[in-house]
Amino acid sequence: MKKFLNAPADFVDEMLEGIYAAHPDVTYTNDDKRCYVTAHPKKGKVGIATGGGSGHLPLFLGYVGDGMLDGCAVGGVFQSPSSDQMYEVTKYIDQGAGVLYIYGNYTGDIINFDMAAEMADVDGIRVRSVVGNDDAASSIVGEEHKRRGVAGIFFVYKAAGAAAAEGLDLDEVVRLADKARLNTRTIGVALSSCVVPEVGHATFSIGDDEMEIGMGIHGEPGISRKKLAPADAVVDEMMERIFGEQDYGAGGEVAVLVNGLGGTPREELYILYRRVSQLFAERSVKVRHVWIGEFATAMEMAGASISVLKLDGELARLMAAPARTPFFTHVER
Amino acid sequence: MQALTANDVAGLFAALEKTFSDQREFLIALDGKVGDSDLGITMSKSFTAAHAAVVAAADASVGKLFGRAGLSIAKAAPSTMGTLTATGFMRGGKAVEAATTIGTAEMAAFWRAYRDGVQERGKAKVGDKTVLDVLDPIAVSLEASAAAGKPLDEALAEAAQAASEALEATRLLVAQHGKAAAFQEKSRGLQDAGATVAVFIVETMANFVKAG
Repeated sequence: MKKFLNAPADFVDEMLEGIYAAHPDVTYTNDDKRCYVTAHPKKGKVGIATGGGSGHLPLFLGYVGDGMLDGCAVGGVFQSPSSDQMYEVTKYIDQGAGVLYIYGNYTGDIINFDMAAEMADVDGIRVRSVVGNDDAASSIVGEEHKRRGVAGIFFVYKAAGAAAAEGLDLDEVVRLADKARLNTRTIGVALSSCVVPEVGHATFSIGDDEMEIGMGIHGEPGISRKKLAPADAVVDEMMERIFGEQDYGAGGEVAVLVNGLGGTPREELYILYRRVSQLFAERSVKVRHVWIGEFATAMEMAGASISVLKLDGELARLMAAPARTPFFTHVER
Repeated sequence: MQALTANDVAGLFAALEKTFSDQREFLIALDGKVGDSDLGITMSKSFTAAHAAVVAAADASVGKLFGRAGLSIAKAAPSTMGTLTATGFMRGGKAVEAATTIGTAEMAAFWRAYRDGVQERGKAKVGDKTVLDVLDPIAVSLEASAAAGKPLDEALAEAAQAASEALEATRLLVAQHGKAAAFQEKSRGLQDAGATVAVFIVETMANFVKAG
Protein backbone atom coordinates (compact mmCIF):
# COMPACT_ATOMS: atom_id res chain seq x y z
CA MET A 1 0.00 0.00 0.00
CA LYS A 2 1.37 3.39 -0.99
CA LYS A 3 -0.90 6.16 0.29
CA PHE A 4 -0.71 9.51 2.02
CA LEU A 5 -1.86 8.55 5.48
CA ASN A 6 -1.14 9.18 9.12
CA ALA A 7 -2.95 6.11 10.38
CA PRO A 8 -5.37 3.96 8.36
CA ALA A 9 -8.00 4.26 11.12
CA ASP A 10 -7.95 8.07 10.79
CA PHE A 11 -8.38 8.08 7.01
CA VAL A 12 -12.01 9.24 6.91
CA ASP A 13 -11.97 11.69 9.80
CA GLU A 14 -8.75 13.38 8.69
CA MET A 15 -10.10 13.66 5.14
CA LEU A 16 -13.16 15.39 6.62
CA GLU A 17 -11.01 17.71 8.74
CA GLY A 18 -9.24 18.77 5.55
CA ILE A 19 -12.51 19.40 3.75
CA TYR A 20 -13.93 21.48 6.60
CA ALA A 21 -10.69 23.46 6.78
CA ALA A 22 -10.82 24.16 3.03
CA HIS A 23 -14.54 24.83 2.55
CA PRO A 24 -16.42 27.10 4.97
CA ASP A 25 -19.67 26.52 3.05
CA VAL A 26 -20.00 23.09 4.65
CA THR A 27 -20.06 22.10 8.29
CA TYR A 28 -21.25 19.27 10.54
CA THR A 29 -24.05 18.71 13.00
CA ASN A 30 -24.49 16.83 16.29
CA ASP A 31 -20.81 17.32 17.02
CA ASP A 32 -20.10 14.45 14.60
CA LYS A 33 -17.79 15.20 11.64
CA ARG A 34 -19.51 12.44 9.69
CA CYS A 35 -22.83 14.33 9.79
CA TYR A 36 -21.88 16.63 6.91
CA VAL A 37 -24.27 19.48 6.06
CA THR A 38 -24.48 22.78 4.23
CA ALA A 39 -23.61 25.80 6.34
CA HIS A 40 -26.44 27.72 4.63
CA PRO A 41 -29.74 25.79 4.90
CA LYS A 42 -32.63 27.59 3.19
CA LYS A 43 -35.95 27.99 5.05
CA GLY A 44 -38.86 26.38 3.27
CA LYS A 45 -36.78 24.46 0.74
CA VAL A 46 -37.07 20.68 0.45
CA GLY A 47 -33.95 19.24 2.09
CA ILE A 48 -31.99 16.62 0.16
CA ALA A 49 -29.72 14.17 1.93
CA THR A 50 -27.46 11.48 0.68
CA GLY A 51 -24.99 9.15 2.31
CA GLY A 52 -22.79 6.18 1.80
CA GLY A 53 -19.32 4.86 2.32
CA SER A 54 -16.16 6.91 1.89
CA GLY A 55 -13.63 6.20 -0.83
CA HIS A 56 -15.68 7.58 -3.73
CA LEU A 57 -14.98 11.33 -3.75
CA PRO A 58 -16.53 13.49 -4.97
CA LEU A 59 -19.38 11.04 -4.26
CA PHE A 60 -21.22 11.41 -1.90
CA LEU A 61 -20.51 14.49 0.18
CA GLY A 62 -19.05 16.44 -2.75
CA TYR A 63 -22.52 17.28 -4.03
CA VAL A 64 -23.62 19.17 -0.92
CA GLY A 65 -23.97 22.79 -1.95
CA ASP A 66 -26.12 25.31 -3.82
CA GLY A 67 -28.47 23.81 -6.41
CA MET A 68 -27.59 20.28 -5.29
CA LEU A 69 -27.80 18.58 -1.86
CA ASP A 70 -28.06 19.77 1.74
CA GLY A 71 -26.47 17.00 3.77
CA CYS A 72 -24.59 13.73 3.69
CA ALA A 73 -24.01 10.99 6.26
CA VAL A 74 -20.45 9.82 5.80
CA GLY A 75 -19.48 6.19 6.39
CA GLY A 76 -16.12 4.47 6.70
CA VAL A 77 -14.41 3.40 3.48
CA PHE A 78 -16.99 1.39 1.49
CA GLN A 79 -19.21 1.16 4.62
CA SER A 80 -22.66 2.52 5.28
CA PRO A 81 -23.00 5.34 7.82
CA SER A 82 -25.34 4.64 10.76
CA SER A 83 -29.05 5.35 10.85
CA ASP A 84 -28.44 7.77 13.72
CA GLN A 85 -26.01 9.80 11.61
CA MET A 86 -28.55 9.92 8.79
CA TYR A 87 -31.26 10.95 11.26
CA GLU A 88 -29.11 13.79 12.65
CA VAL A 89 -28.42 15.05 9.12
CA THR A 90 -32.16 14.83 8.41
CA LYS A 91 -33.06 16.90 11.46
CA TYR A 92 -30.58 19.60 10.51
CA ILE A 93 -31.57 19.90 6.85
CA ASP A 94 -35.33 19.77 7.35
CA GLN A 95 -36.45 23.34 6.80
CA GLY A 96 -40.14 22.65 7.12
CA ALA A 97 -40.72 21.25 3.62
CA GLY A 98 -39.62 17.66 4.24
CA VAL A 99 -36.55 15.73 3.21
CA LEU A 100 -35.65 13.55 0.23
CA TYR A 101 -33.06 10.79 0.59
CA ILE A 102 -31.12 9.92 -2.57
CA TYR A 103 -28.65 7.08 -2.19
CA GLY A 104 -27.33 4.02 -3.97
CA ASN A 105 -28.95 0.59 -3.97
CA TYR A 106 -26.85 -1.22 -1.35
CA THR A 107 -28.31 -3.34 1.47
CA GLY A 108 -26.63 -1.56 4.38
CA ASP A 109 -27.58 1.88 3.11
CA ILE A 110 -31.19 0.84 2.52
CA ILE A 111 -31.62 -0.56 6.04
CA ASN A 112 -30.06 2.51 7.66
CA PHE A 113 -31.87 5.11 5.54
CA ASP A 114 -35.21 3.34 6.12
CA MET A 115 -34.52 3.34 9.84
CA ALA A 116 -33.50 7.01 9.77
CA ALA A 117 -36.72 7.90 7.94
CA GLU A 118 -38.69 6.17 10.66
CA MET A 119 -36.76 8.02 13.36
CA ALA A 120 -37.42 11.32 11.60
CA ASP A 121 -41.11 10.43 11.42
CA VAL A 122 -41.22 10.40 15.24
CA ASP A 123 -40.19 14.06 15.02
CA GLY A 124 -42.88 14.72 12.43
CA ILE A 125 -40.42 15.18 9.55
CA ARG A 126 -41.74 13.91 6.24
CA VAL A 127 -39.13 11.83 4.41
CA ARG A 128 -39.20 10.17 1.01
CA SER A 129 -36.50 8.16 -0.74
CA VAL A 130 -35.23 7.66 -4.26
CA VAL A 131 -32.73 4.81 -4.55
CA GLY A 132 -30.21 5.02 -7.40
CA ASN A 133 -29.90 1.85 -9.50
CA ASP A 134 -28.27 2.99 -12.72
CA ASP A 135 -25.62 0.26 -13.15
CA ALA A 136 -26.88 -1.60 -16.23
CA ALA A 137 -24.21 -4.28 -15.79
CA SER A 138 -25.32 -5.40 -12.34
CA SER A 139 -28.60 -7.06 -13.27
CA ILE A 140 -30.62 -7.92 -16.33
CA VAL A 141 -33.49 -5.92 -17.84
CA GLY A 142 -36.61 -6.73 -15.81
CA GLU A 143 -34.61 -6.93 -12.59
CA GLU A 144 -33.56 -3.30 -12.46
CA HIS A 145 -34.46 -3.14 -8.74
CA LYS A 146 -31.38 -5.31 -8.06
CA ARG A 147 -29.02 -2.96 -9.84
CA ARG A 148 -26.38 -1.07 -7.90
CA GLY A 149 -26.23 2.69 -7.80
CA VAL A 150 -23.07 4.13 -9.37
CA ALA A 151 -21.96 7.36 -11.05
CA GLY A 152 -25.33 8.02 -12.71
CA ILE A 153 -26.74 9.05 -9.33
CA PHE A 154 -25.11 12.38 -10.22
CA PHE A 155 -28.01 13.05 -12.63
CA VAL A 156 -30.53 12.26 -9.89
CA TYR A 157 -28.78 14.69 -7.53
CA LYS A 158 -28.67 17.35 -10.22
CA ALA A 159 -32.36 16.98 -11.12
CA ALA A 160 -33.55 16.89 -7.51
CA GLY A 161 -31.21 19.66 -6.40
CA ALA A 162 -32.34 21.99 -9.17
CA ALA A 163 -36.00 21.15 -8.54
CA ALA A 164 -35.68 21.88 -4.82
CA ALA A 165 -33.83 25.13 -5.58
CA GLU A 166 -36.76 26.18 -7.79
CA GLY A 167 -38.93 25.91 -4.67
CA LEU A 168 -40.95 22.87 -5.78
CA ASP A 169 -42.59 20.79 -3.04
CA LEU A 170 -41.43 17.38 -1.81
CA ASP A 171 -43.74 15.31 -4.03
CA GLU A 172 -42.66 17.21 -7.12
CA VAL A 173 -38.96 16.96 -6.24
CA VAL A 174 -39.42 13.21 -5.73
CA ARG A 175 -41.21 12.87 -9.08
CA LEU A 176 -38.39 14.62 -10.94
CA ALA A 177 -35.63 12.76 -9.09
CA ASP A 178 -37.33 9.50 -9.91
CA LYS A 179 -37.73 10.49 -13.54
CA ALA A 180 -33.99 11.17 -13.74
CA ARG A 181 -33.32 7.82 -12.05
CA LEU A 182 -35.52 5.89 -14.48
CA ASN A 183 -33.89 7.53 -17.49
CA THR A 184 -30.27 6.98 -16.47
CA ARG A 185 -28.05 4.07 -17.49
CA THR A 186 -24.42 3.54 -16.54
CA ILE A 187 -21.82 1.03 -17.60
CA GLY A 188 -18.33 0.86 -16.16
CA VAL A 189 -15.04 -0.78 -16.95
CA ALA A 190 -12.19 -1.42 -14.51
CA LEU A 191 -8.52 -1.71 -15.43
CA SER A 192 -7.01 -2.11 -11.98
CA SER A 193 -7.98 -2.78 -8.37
CA CYS A 194 -8.16 -0.50 -5.34
CA VAL A 195 -6.82 -0.60 -1.78
CA VAL A 196 -8.99 0.05 1.29
CA PRO A 197 -6.63 1.74 3.81
CA GLU A 198 -7.58 -0.43 6.79
CA VAL A 199 -7.20 -3.57 4.64
CA GLY A 200 -3.86 -2.56 3.15
CA HIS A 201 -3.85 -4.69 0.01
CA ALA A 202 -5.73 -4.79 -3.30
CA THR A 203 -9.44 -5.67 -3.10
CA PHE A 204 -9.12 -8.04 -6.09
CA SER A 205 -6.52 -8.89 -8.70
CA ILE A 206 -6.67 -8.25 -12.41
CA GLY A 207 -3.98 -8.91 -15.01
CA ASP A 208 -1.88 -6.02 -16.40
CA ASP A 209 -3.39 -6.63 -19.83
CA GLU A 210 -6.98 -7.22 -18.69
CA MET A 211 -10.16 -5.19 -18.24
CA GLU A 212 -13.41 -6.06 -16.52
CA ILE A 213 -16.59 -4.67 -17.96
CA GLY A 214 -19.36 -3.94 -15.49
CA MET A 215 -17.30 -4.02 -12.32
CA GLY A 216 -18.88 -2.22 -9.36
CA ILE A 217 -17.35 0.73 -7.51
CA HIS A 218 -16.33 -1.50 -4.61
CA GLY A 219 -14.86 -4.16 -6.87
CA GLU A 220 -18.06 -6.20 -7.21
CA PRO A 221 -17.73 -8.67 -10.09
CA GLY A 222 -18.72 -7.44 -13.53
CA ILE A 223 -20.08 -9.23 -16.57
CA SER A 224 -16.94 -10.08 -18.50
CA ARG A 225 -13.19 -10.03 -18.08
CA LYS A 226 -11.06 -9.98 -21.20
CA LYS A 227 -7.92 -8.60 -22.82
CA LEU A 228 -7.88 -4.82 -22.88
CA ALA A 229 -9.02 -3.67 -26.33
CA PRO A 230 -8.44 -0.34 -28.14
CA ALA A 231 -10.43 2.52 -26.58
CA ASP A 232 -12.95 2.76 -29.42
CA ALA A 233 -13.75 -0.94 -29.17
CA VAL A 234 -14.16 -0.66 -25.39
CA VAL A 235 -16.58 2.25 -25.79
CA ASP A 236 -18.48 0.40 -28.54
CA GLU A 237 -18.98 -2.57 -26.25
CA MET A 238 -20.06 -0.41 -23.32
CA MET A 239 -22.41 1.74 -25.36
CA GLU A 240 -23.95 -1.27 -27.05
CA ARG A 241 -25.44 -2.24 -23.69
CA ILE A 242 -26.76 1.25 -23.10
CA PHE A 243 -28.23 1.57 -26.59
CA GLY A 244 -29.76 -1.87 -26.10
CA GLU A 245 -31.73 -0.61 -23.11
CA GLN A 246 -32.77 2.88 -24.06
CA ASP A 247 -33.97 4.28 -27.34
CA TYR A 248 -32.81 7.88 -27.62
CA GLY A 249 -34.46 8.36 -31.01
CA ALA A 250 -33.16 10.46 -33.92
CA GLY A 251 -33.42 14.08 -32.82
CA GLY A 252 -33.46 13.09 -29.16
CA GLU A 253 -31.31 14.72 -26.51
CA VAL A 254 -29.12 13.28 -23.80
CA ALA A 255 -26.75 14.29 -21.03
CA VAL A 256 -23.53 12.26 -20.78
CA LEU A 257 -21.20 11.75 -17.84
CA VAL A 258 -17.78 10.21 -18.49
CA ASN A 259 -16.41 9.37 -15.07
CA GLY A 260 -12.94 8.37 -14.05
CA LEU A 261 -12.76 5.76 -11.27
CA GLY A 262 -9.78 7.38 -9.53
CA GLY A 263 -6.67 6.14 -11.32
CA THR A 264 -7.37 7.15 -14.91
CA PRO A 265 -6.15 10.47 -16.35
CA ARG A 266 -8.59 12.91 -17.91
CA GLU A 267 -6.77 12.57 -21.23
CA GLU A 268 -8.03 9.00 -21.46
CA LEU A 269 -11.55 10.04 -20.47
CA TYR A 270 -11.59 12.44 -23.42
CA ILE A 271 -10.36 9.65 -25.72
CA LEU A 272 -13.39 7.66 -24.53
CA TYR A 273 -15.75 10.60 -25.00
CA ARG A 274 -14.47 11.14 -28.55
CA ARG A 275 -15.95 7.79 -29.47
CA VAL A 276 -19.12 8.31 -27.39
CA SER A 277 -19.81 11.54 -29.27
CA GLN A 278 -19.31 9.79 -32.62
CA LEU A 279 -21.83 7.09 -31.67
CA PHE A 280 -24.46 9.67 -30.71
CA ALA A 281 -23.77 11.69 -33.88
CA GLU A 282 -24.28 8.55 -35.99
CA ARG A 283 -27.70 8.18 -34.37
CA SER A 284 -28.54 11.88 -34.78
CA VAL A 285 -28.85 12.21 -30.99
CA LYS A 286 -27.84 15.55 -29.54
CA VAL A 287 -25.57 15.55 -26.49
CA ARG A 288 -27.02 18.61 -24.75
CA HIS A 289 -24.85 18.35 -21.62
CA VAL A 290 -21.58 16.55 -21.08
CA TRP A 291 -19.54 16.29 -17.91
CA ILE A 292 -16.11 14.64 -18.02
CA GLY A 293 -13.93 14.07 -14.96
CA GLU A 294 -14.15 12.32 -11.61
CA PHE A 295 -17.67 12.12 -10.20
CA ALA A 296 -17.78 8.74 -8.44
CA THR A 297 -14.49 7.00 -7.80
CA ALA A 298 -13.31 3.76 -6.19
CA MET A 299 -10.14 4.91 -4.41
CA GLU A 300 -7.25 4.51 -6.88
CA MET A 301 -9.02 2.14 -9.26
CA ALA A 302 -8.12 2.75 -12.91
CA GLY A 303 -11.11 2.64 -15.19
CA ALA A 304 -14.10 4.66 -16.27
CA SER A 305 -17.84 4.64 -16.49
CA ILE A 306 -20.21 6.17 -18.98
CA SER A 307 -23.63 7.37 -17.82
CA VAL A 308 -26.36 8.56 -20.14
CA LEU A 309 -29.50 10.45 -19.14
CA LYS A 310 -32.29 10.60 -21.67
CA LEU A 311 -33.60 14.15 -21.60
CA ASP A 312 -37.01 15.67 -22.00
CA GLY A 313 -37.94 19.32 -21.56
CA GLU A 314 -38.07 19.37 -17.78
CA LEU A 315 -34.98 17.21 -17.25
CA ALA A 316 -33.06 19.42 -19.71
CA ARG A 317 -34.14 22.48 -17.69
CA LEU A 318 -32.94 20.89 -14.43
CA MET A 319 -29.59 19.84 -15.92
CA ALA A 320 -29.07 23.39 -17.22
CA ALA A 321 -29.68 25.04 -13.83
CA PRO A 322 -26.67 26.45 -11.95
CA ALA A 323 -24.97 24.57 -9.13
CA ARG A 324 -22.04 25.29 -6.87
CA THR A 325 -20.50 22.94 -4.33
CA PRO A 326 -16.90 22.53 -3.11
CA PHE A 327 -16.46 19.73 -5.66
CA PHE A 328 -18.77 20.65 -8.52
CA THR A 329 -19.65 23.90 -10.25
CA HIS A 330 -22.05 24.31 -13.12
CA VAL A 331 -22.75 27.63 -14.78
CA GLU A 332 -26.28 27.90 -16.15
CA ARG A 333 -26.38 27.02 -19.81
CA MET B 1 -55.58 -0.76 35.61
CA GLN B 2 -57.79 -1.32 32.58
CA ALA B 3 -56.05 1.15 30.26
CA LEU B 4 -52.72 2.90 29.93
CA THR B 5 -52.67 6.66 29.56
CA ALA B 6 -49.82 9.01 28.75
CA ASN B 7 -49.37 9.60 32.48
CA ASP B 8 -48.51 5.93 33.00
CA VAL B 9 -45.79 5.74 30.37
CA ALA B 10 -42.92 7.08 32.50
CA GLY B 11 -43.76 4.52 35.20
CA LEU B 12 -43.88 1.71 32.65
CA PHE B 13 -40.46 2.62 31.29
CA ALA B 14 -39.05 2.92 34.81
CA ALA B 15 -40.20 -0.67 35.29
CA LEU B 16 -38.64 -1.73 31.95
CA GLU B 17 -35.38 -0.03 32.89
CA LYS B 18 -35.37 -1.94 36.18
CA THR B 19 -36.16 -5.27 34.46
CA PHE B 20 -33.26 -4.94 32.05
CA SER B 21 -30.92 -3.72 34.73
CA ASP B 22 -31.85 -6.73 36.91
CA GLN B 23 -31.53 -9.15 33.95
CA ARG B 24 -28.32 -7.62 32.56
CA GLU B 25 -25.96 -10.40 33.70
CA PHE B 26 -28.47 -13.13 32.81
CA LEU B 27 -28.75 -11.81 29.22
CA ILE B 28 -24.98 -11.41 28.93
CA ALA B 29 -24.51 -15.05 29.91
CA LEU B 30 -27.34 -16.27 27.66
CA ASP B 31 -26.08 -14.34 24.62
CA GLY B 32 -22.52 -15.47 25.38
CA LYS B 33 -23.42 -19.07 24.55
CA VAL B 34 -23.94 -18.44 20.83
CA GLY B 35 -23.52 -14.69 20.37
CA ASP B 36 -21.11 -11.98 21.40
CA SER B 37 -22.33 -11.33 24.96
CA ASP B 38 -23.36 -7.75 24.34
CA LEU B 39 -27.14 -8.24 24.57
CA GLY B 40 -27.41 -7.56 28.30
CA ILE B 41 -25.42 -4.35 27.93
CA THR B 42 -27.33 -3.24 24.84
CA MET B 43 -30.75 -3.79 26.38
CA SER B 44 -29.88 -2.18 29.68
CA LYS B 45 -28.54 0.85 27.82
CA SER B 46 -31.63 0.86 25.57
CA PHE B 47 -34.19 1.07 28.34
CA THR B 48 -32.20 3.53 30.43
CA ALA B 49 -32.25 5.80 27.36
CA ALA B 50 -35.93 5.07 26.68
CA HIS B 51 -36.94 5.91 30.25
CA ALA B 52 -35.03 9.19 30.12
CA ALA B 53 -36.60 10.01 26.74
CA VAL B 54 -40.22 9.51 27.84
CA VAL B 55 -39.62 11.48 31.04
CA ALA B 56 -38.21 14.36 29.00
CA ALA B 57 -40.83 14.20 26.23
CA ALA B 58 -43.72 16.62 26.04
CA ASP B 59 -45.78 14.43 23.69
CA ALA B 60 -49.34 13.89 24.74
CA SER B 61 -50.26 10.46 23.44
CA VAL B 62 -49.05 7.04 24.59
CA GLY B 63 -48.25 6.16 20.98
CA LYS B 64 -46.08 9.24 20.52
CA LEU B 65 -44.26 8.45 23.75
CA PHE B 66 -43.65 4.86 22.61
CA GLY B 67 -42.27 6.33 19.37
CA ARG B 68 -39.94 8.61 21.37
CA ALA B 69 -38.79 5.58 23.35
CA GLY B 70 -38.06 3.72 20.11
CA LEU B 71 -36.15 6.68 18.68
CA SER B 72 -33.98 6.91 21.80
CA ILE B 73 -33.24 3.17 21.66
CA ALA B 74 -32.18 3.51 18.02
CA LYS B 75 -29.74 6.23 19.03
CA ALA B 76 -28.47 4.51 22.17
CA ALA B 77 -28.09 0.98 20.84
CA PRO B 78 -27.37 0.67 17.12
CA SER B 79 -26.89 -3.11 17.35
CA THR B 80 -29.19 -5.65 15.71
CA MET B 81 -31.41 -6.18 18.75
CA GLY B 82 -31.35 -2.47 19.61
CA THR B 83 -32.44 -1.59 16.08
CA LEU B 84 -35.19 -4.21 16.08
CA THR B 85 -36.49 -3.13 19.50
CA ALA B 86 -36.38 0.50 18.38
CA THR B 87 -38.30 -0.41 15.24
CA GLY B 88 -40.87 -2.29 17.33
CA PHE B 89 -41.58 0.65 19.60
CA MET B 90 -41.64 3.17 16.75
CA ARG B 91 -43.99 1.07 14.60
CA GLY B 92 -46.14 0.07 17.56
CA GLY B 93 -46.31 3.65 18.75
CA LYS B 94 -47.32 4.88 15.31
CA ALA B 95 -50.10 2.30 15.14
CA VAL B 96 -51.73 3.71 18.29
CA GLU B 97 -50.73 7.33 17.76
CA ALA B 98 -54.31 8.58 17.69
CA ALA B 99 -55.45 6.74 20.84
CA THR B 100 -55.62 8.63 24.14
CA THR B 101 -55.84 5.43 26.19
CA ILE B 102 -54.42 1.98 25.53
CA GLY B 103 -56.93 -0.79 26.21
CA THR B 104 -56.78 -4.38 24.96
CA ALA B 105 -57.56 -3.51 21.33
CA GLU B 106 -54.89 -0.81 21.20
CA MET B 107 -52.37 -3.06 22.95
CA ALA B 108 -53.06 -5.72 20.30
CA ALA B 109 -52.55 -3.13 17.56
CA PHE B 110 -49.29 -2.02 19.22
CA TRP B 111 -47.86 -5.56 19.32
CA ARG B 112 -49.09 -6.43 15.83
CA ALA B 113 -47.24 -3.41 14.42
CA TYR B 114 -44.23 -4.18 16.64
CA ARG B 115 -44.16 -7.74 15.31
CA ASP B 116 -44.61 -6.74 11.67
CA GLY B 117 -41.97 -4.02 11.93
CA VAL B 118 -39.43 -6.43 13.37
CA GLN B 119 -40.18 -8.97 10.68
CA GLU B 120 -39.85 -6.43 7.91
CA ARG B 121 -36.58 -4.99 9.20
CA GLY B 122 -35.02 -8.26 10.37
CA LYS B 123 -36.14 -10.33 7.36
CA ALA B 124 -36.70 -13.40 9.57
CA LYS B 125 -39.79 -15.60 9.55
CA VAL B 126 -41.57 -17.45 12.34
CA GLY B 127 -39.63 -20.63 13.16
CA ASP B 128 -36.18 -19.18 12.48
CA LYS B 129 -35.41 -19.07 16.22
CA THR B 130 -35.54 -15.31 16.62
CA VAL B 131 -37.48 -12.73 18.60
CA LEU B 132 -40.24 -13.16 16.04
CA ASP B 133 -41.10 -16.57 17.51
CA VAL B 134 -42.23 -14.76 20.67
CA LEU B 135 -43.61 -11.60 19.08
CA ASP B 136 -45.99 -13.55 16.87
CA PRO B 137 -47.82 -15.36 19.72
CA ILE B 138 -47.96 -12.11 21.73
CA ALA B 139 -49.77 -10.37 18.86
CA VAL B 140 -52.04 -13.35 18.19
CA SER B 141 -52.95 -13.73 21.88
CA LEU B 142 -53.76 -10.04 22.30
CA GLU B 143 -55.85 -10.00 19.14
CA ALA B 144 -57.87 -12.97 20.41
CA SER B 145 -58.34 -11.22 23.77
CA ALA B 146 -59.42 -8.00 22.04
CA ALA B 147 -61.96 -9.95 19.99
CA ALA B 148 -63.24 -11.65 23.15
CA GLY B 149 -63.51 -8.29 24.94
CA LYS B 150 -61.10 -9.22 27.72
CA PRO B 151 -59.78 -6.48 30.02
CA LEU B 152 -56.21 -5.26 29.58
CA ASP B 153 -54.72 -6.84 32.71
CA GLU B 154 -56.10 -10.28 31.85
CA ALA B 155 -55.13 -9.92 28.18
CA LEU B 156 -51.54 -8.95 28.98
CA ALA B 157 -51.22 -11.75 31.54
CA GLU B 158 -52.31 -14.26 28.89
CA ALA B 159 -49.97 -12.72 26.30
CA ALA B 160 -47.07 -12.96 28.76
CA GLN B 161 -47.94 -16.59 29.39
CA ALA B 162 -48.09 -17.29 25.63
CA ALA B 163 -44.75 -15.51 25.19
CA SER B 164 -43.12 -17.56 27.92
CA GLU B 165 -44.36 -20.83 26.40
CA ALA B 166 -43.20 -19.73 22.95
CA LEU B 167 -39.78 -18.89 24.37
CA GLU B 168 -39.54 -22.38 25.84
CA ALA B 169 -40.42 -23.77 22.40
CA THR B 170 -37.51 -21.88 20.78
CA ARG B 171 -35.21 -24.40 22.49
CA LEU B 172 -36.28 -26.95 19.88
CA LEU B 173 -35.38 -24.71 16.96
CA VAL B 174 -32.11 -24.25 15.09
CA ALA B 175 -30.84 -20.67 14.67
CA GLN B 176 -31.01 -19.29 11.10
CA HIS B 177 -29.91 -15.69 11.69
CA GLY B 178 -27.13 -13.66 13.24
CA LYS B 179 -24.04 -14.97 14.94
CA ALA B 180 -26.03 -17.86 16.46
CA ALA B 181 -26.65 -19.26 12.96
CA ALA B 182 -22.99 -20.31 12.78
CA PHE B 183 -23.65 -22.70 15.67
CA GLN B 184 -26.46 -24.49 13.82
CA GLU B 185 -27.27 -27.74 15.67
CA LYS B 186 -25.44 -26.54 18.79
CA SER B 187 -28.06 -23.79 19.14
CA ARG B 188 -30.70 -26.47 19.67
CA GLY B 189 -31.64 -26.79 23.34
CA LEU B 190 -30.92 -23.13 24.08
CA GLN B 191 -33.64 -20.52 24.45
CA ASP B 192 -33.16 -17.69 21.96
CA ALA B 193 -31.62 -14.60 23.54
CA GLY B 194 -33.51 -12.06 21.42
CA ALA B 195 -36.79 -13.84 22.09
CA THR B 196 -36.02 -13.65 25.81
CA VAL B 197 -35.89 -9.86 25.52
CA ALA B 198 -39.43 -9.77 24.10
CA VAL B 199 -40.68 -11.98 26.95
CA PHE B 200 -39.16 -9.59 29.50
CA ILE B 201 -40.88 -6.62 27.82
CA VAL B 202 -44.35 -8.15 27.75
CA GLU B 203 -44.01 -9.59 31.27
CA THR B 204 -42.98 -6.19 32.60
CA MET B 205 -45.97 -4.61 30.88
CA ALA B 206 -48.30 -7.26 32.32
CA ASN B 207 -46.94 -6.80 35.84
CA PHE B 208 -47.09 -3.02 35.57
CA VAL B 209 -50.74 -3.05 34.49
CA LYS B 210 -51.64 -5.65 37.12
CA ALA B 211 -49.99 -3.65 39.92
CA GLY B 212 -51.55 -0.38 38.72
